[in-house]
Amino acid sequence: MPSWIGQAIKRGILTSRFPRGPGSEDELPETSRPPVLSPTSDPLPTLTRATGDCPTGAIDPDGLHHGKCVRCARCTRKGFVFAGPAHPCADSREGLYAPGGGPLPEHRNASPLAPLGRSLQLFLVDAGSCLACNLEVLALANPYYDSSRLGITFVNSPHHADVLVVVGIPTDPLLGPLRRAYEALPGPKAVLAVGACALEGGIFRGNPGTRAPLSDTVPVDLFVPGCPPTPLDILQGVLTLAGRANRLPEVHP
Amino acid sequence: MSGTGGLPPRPEGAHGRSLSYLPADRSFALLTDYDTRRTVRATFGELSEQHLRAARNWQPSASAPWTLDMGEEVEGYGTFRFPYGPFSMGVPEAGTFELVTYGERLLEVLPGFGQKPRGILASLPGLRVEEAALRVERMVGPYSTAHVAAFLFAAEAAAGTSLSAEEAQVRALGQELQRVYNHLHVLARLAEAASQNVGQAQTHALAEEVLRLAGRHFGHRWLFGSLLPGGPRRRLDRVQRTELDRSLAQLGSRFEALWELFQGSRTFVDRLQGTGRVGRSQAISWGAVGPVLRACGVPWDDRLRDPLPPYHDLFLPLAHQSEGDALARTVVRVEEVRSSLLLLEQLLDRWPNGGTFDPLLPVSPRRGLARTEAPSGDLVWDVLLTEDGRVRQAAFRSASQANWPLFALACRQSVFTDFHFTLESFGLSFAETDG
Amino acid sequence: MMDGAAWLLEAALATLFAAVPASVLGRRISYAVSFVGSALLLAAAVVVLVSGPFTALQYTGPFGETQTLGLDALSAFFALAAAVVWMGASAFSISYDERPGGGLARAFALTLGSIAVLFAAGNFLLFLAAWEGMTLASFWMIVEASGRKGPVFSAGFVFLAFGEGSTLLVALSVAGFHAATGMFAMVDVLALPVSTGIFLCALVGFGLKMGVAPFHMSEWLPIAHSSAPSNASSVLSATLTLAGVYGLFRVISLLPVGPVWWGAVVLAIGAISALLGALFASVSEHVKGLPAYSTIENNGLVLVALGVALVARSQGLETLYAFALFAAFFQALAHAVAKGALFLFTGHVEHVTGTFDLNEVRGRVLRGSPGASLGGLISALSFAAAPPLAGFVGEWMILEALFQSYRFVGPAAEFLGLLAGAAVALSLGLAQVAMVKLVGFSLLWNPLRASSPRPTPGLGAPLAALSGVVIALGVGAPWVLTFIAPAVQNLSHQALSAPVGQLLDLPTGWSILSGSPFGILSPPAVPIGIALGSLVGLGYFLLGGGRAARRVPVWVSGRAPSPVEGTYTAFGFSTGIRIMLGSLLGTREVQRRSGGITAVAIASPEVYNVELEVLDVFKLFYDDLVLGGLAFSRALKAFLMPGRPGRYLAYVLITVLVVLVYLTAAG
Repeated sequence: MPSWIGQAIKRGILTSRFPRGPGSEDELPETSRPPVLSPTSDPLPTLTRATGDCPTGAIDPDGLHHGKCVRCARCTRKGFVFAGPAHPCADSREGLYAPGGGPLPEHRNASPLAPLGRSLQLFLVDAGSCLACNLEVLALANPYYDSSRLGITFVNSPHHADVLVVVGIPTDPLLGPLRRAYEALPGPKAVLAVGACALEGGIFRGNPGTRAPLSDTVPVDLFVPGCPPTPLDILQGVLTLAGRANRLPEVHP
Repeated sequence: MSGTGGLPPRPEGAHGRSLSYLPADRSFALLTDYDTRRTVRATFGELSEQHLRAARNWQPSASAPWTLDMGEEVEGYGTFRFPYGPFSMGVPEAGTFELVTYGERLLEVLPGFGQKPRGILASLPGLRVEEAALRVERMVGPYSTAHVAAFLFAAEAAAGTSLSAEEAQVRALGQELQRVYNHLHVLARLAEAASQNVGQAQTHALAEEVLRLAGRHFGHRWLFGSLLPGGPRRRLDRVQRTELDRSLAQLGSRFEALWELFQGSRTFVDRLQGTGRVGRSQAISWGAVGPVLRACGVPWDDRLRDPLPPYHDLFLPLAHQSEGDALARTVVRVEEVRSSLLLLEQLLDRWPNGGTFDPLLPVSPRRGLARTEAPSGDLVWDVLLTEDGRVRQAAFRSASQANWPLFALACRQSVFTDFHFTLESFGLSFAETDG
Repeated sequence: MMDGAAWLLEAALATLFAAVPASVLGRRISYAVSFVGSALLLAAAVVVLVSGPFTALQYTGPFGETQTLGLDALSAFFALAAAVVWMGASAFSISYDERPGGGLARAFALTLGSIAVLFAAGNFLLFLAAWEGMTLASFWMIVEASGRKGPVFSAGFVFLAFGEGSTLLVALSVAGFHAATGMFAMVDVLALPVSTGIFLCALVGFGLKMGVAPFHMSEWLPIAHSSAPSNASSVLSATLTLAGVYGLFRVISLLPVGPVWWGAVVLAIGAISALLGALFASVSEHVKGLPAYSTIENNGLVLVALGVALVARSQGLETLYAFALFAAFFQALAHAVAKGALFLFTGHVEHVTGTFDLNEVRGRVLRGSPGASLGGLISALSFAAAPPLAGFVGEWMILEALFQSYRFVGPAAEFLGLLAGAAVALSLGLAQVAMVKLVGFSLLWNPLRASSPRPTPGLGAPLAALSGVVIALGVGAPWVLTFIAPAVQNLSHQALSAPVGQLLDLPTGWSILSGSPFGILSPPAVPIGIALGSLVGLGYFLLGGGRAARRVPVWVSGRAPSPVEGTYTAFGFSTGIRIMLGSLLGTREVQRRSGGITAVAIASPEVYNVELEVLDVFKLFYDDLVLGGLAFSRALKAFLMPGRPGRYLAYVLITVLVVLVYLTAAG
């Protein structure tokens, strides 16, 4: 007789081994890795040629701004490859700038919520997203990632939350609610900006009625780039806020 | 393949207001609601005056965002308004609802849009079609393939460029994959609302598998850029197609086992049965589209009525029910998952070997219109190009925009706890509404 | 001492009645005189409870019987409770009554005087006269402000009708007393068969005045649906019903020990009244209707305690009998004082907001007098059984008595005790809902629009004083029980000691014992515990803990909070109860469309007004009864007097024939 328990047992354990081990190939599709100059291309001419191609202006002749990258893959025609170190994040917008188009410098920064211990409560706020980033953040609760095994849970009210997770490019009507949400979190608190739209405006930078970047409206503690970032990228960001980020072994391509 | 053959005149509704989703001062576009109604009328005979009289319309103005006019507001002794949103964890997006209630019962639900207008349509003029497509596919992440497919078909119709059969195949492949993901996601959220914890977890796991398959074979979990030239690397040669086929078959059998269990769960079925019921004539006269319309007994699917290539060659069993409640909408989605898996199998088996398709007929010189069946329903894109092939103007009418009035109607006379079932079973998106 | 007490009683009665002519000098003076009279009565009652009964006046009445005016312990207890309420109500009325002319003051004084005579009556005829006088004076008080027509007058008329029914039944029981003892003085009856008739007539007659189900129409209707002035409502609800309780207790004190079914009937009626009263209170939207239903509930609780006592006495359970009697007395006292205060609070609400609809009041009352708001809060909390108030102690004692109903002999009695206990527990919960609703929506809400409050001098002090009495009664409950022991002994004709004892390390006499012992409560320990616990919080604040707090606006899903939207109305507060207990309340939804009223459940775009209504089946029953009675009398009249001379001639003929036959047979 079919039963829920029988079904669950038959499925077995699906949960990722991250962060005890690196993410598997299934968890990290091609575009989840940030773009870097391929080893065979010449930096300066490549950067200069690719500058006009990038729709968000992430590439300039001096380097690549990961916060602006929307992973559209157009630069792969001009000498870039999606082979950067997985799970990038930084605690400032400048920290996401990779000079020379190489890999992003290592991120070693203080974790504002480390004193809270190992468990964090997240409150998700949609500032104007396309829903992809929302669903990637909420995917942390599904059995494949199961963030609650790490003490990361979602709460329904900002008064109970430690981290305000913001996705989407801030639109005019939502600026007030964003500030109120930030005010409503009790200290100590942190803001996690997830996705290219929240970081720099993504592909909608400059659209009428939008107010990118998010850090103009609320102070942001950690930026996670991607369009959208995979659930493991977001998990890495949350663990960094909690002071639990470790250096991870590289995923072999 | 299909087209509308000429710009239709501006029709007048029963109340003397023009049926348009765009500001009246724009000399551009139309279609959408009128077109739906016209084609429905052509198929099912004349709509009665009663149906037309009950219809309401959208009247966006230049300054205010979309508004919804449901007629006289319901009031009574002791009623009050309960605000919900924009930041509530129950609704994953930023949108507001005003619940008019006297406690426990919902007398009226008024959705409030315009919380997240990102000005996408305003940013398109002047871009090349490729660059515009990058923005169009990020309109709504989970429906990215539907939006970009409709947009590209419309742009190709406007420019008169033909389409390779393989590209058409890939577009259909991507759309069907995302349809499976979206319907599984809706089912998971309904299970969550009904406190079916194991069912919810297992269904979310299945949805995650679809995303992983997309990421593996298209390079991006949400297929951003995957339907555009020069996008992420695709893995769709013969060996990889077989692998994808096998993974999908496995997913299909797991889904069937899961659905068996859901059907056997009395609680789950009870919560959905009778919730948010809408009638067939209401669905037609309020202009509903998509699974919502099919659950009310109207067998309308763009892939059958208005098929874009390569759908005209494929076997697609139509999913429809007649009850019009949340359970019917869920069953329609389940059957669509099955038919999507069937379509995917056909698409992967019969991979084209070269060949092209002619573009759709343009509506007028350099103006193309295409509609496709997005996971939420009928989606129309209208594209006007300049002489050198850049976008001059573009507009769309999404299924979410069409279905909001019926949703507000379905919520009437229900109770607080039914709200989420109605909302999730309708599958509406604020991102698609505000644009 | 006796002379002093007698003098006090005479002075009290004289002063209370002197308030009537004093109204010529002004209504305020009349109320002040009433206040003095009540104070004198209070003093007399206290003296009696301390030193013993007395007779103040003795004279020969119109029928040759001996009339006495005096107080014994039983009537002193009730006089004490009533006097406290009257003092508060008179002081309140000085500022409250703003109608020119002294009509209300006169009716007020007459009511007080009649009830005082009722308590002091030592003879059933005087009792009956005072009973009727009380009814008429109350009627006058209710309809004073209205004209000869209108809803106020018809509501008062309903009150009068039920009151006359009550007088009729009380007169029947008085007749039974005369048949049993041969005189009208209040002496014990020894024969059992007549006792049953007397008991039933008294139960129904006094129950009508108490407002218990199924006669609760007489209680809530005139108070709620009329605009009887609030000082009148206070006197009516608190002391008129108290007079009913006194009458019932007096009758029982004179009857022998009855069979078990006496107590069972009282218990059943009490439990049903408590449940119905609390239920209708919790769904009431009327600021005065809610406390009126609460009166029904509380009188039901008094009857429940009395019922347990009677069953226990019939079955020989002496300790339970004593405890349940004390519970009944204490509950009556607690209810009288707190209900008096609560109705005065409704007067304050009317004064500040001008409306009686809880959905309209919306927190504006807090801007009135703080003393009055405090009085309303404390009295409502007393009904919600919040420790350490008087209502809490009373309801605890009743529940303890019901718990001990397992001692009843026989499965039927035990089962009844079980059901009654369940009903009482449910009613207490619903009463909490009702009181929270009343206080929350009148005091603690965001006002919809700013209102400038009218200055309300003189309304706060009486209410604050009454709330102080409520607190004192609750905290000092063990000593109050000891103080009223003579009254309880008077009823039971036995030497009963107050159920106070010792708990843990608290001094003897600080705790109330139920059973042998079964349960223990120490009301004075509660404020001590609260104070000790508060020291922790106080210390935290003194050490600077409060400084780290940051104030933020309330979270409303990201919107700017507004007082208009997102807050429940008072109606919405109890919609859950209306729907869940819909079969009991007869809840139905009425939808109005553009074309008339229908009651359907199918959604339609044309619906523009939806309301949820509850039925009062008793009102429907009485309406049917009244209509049926009127129809019957019309039909009878039409039959007997068709206006045809032939029929009248036939009547004459028949009468002559009957007389002839009678005379022939007799002669």
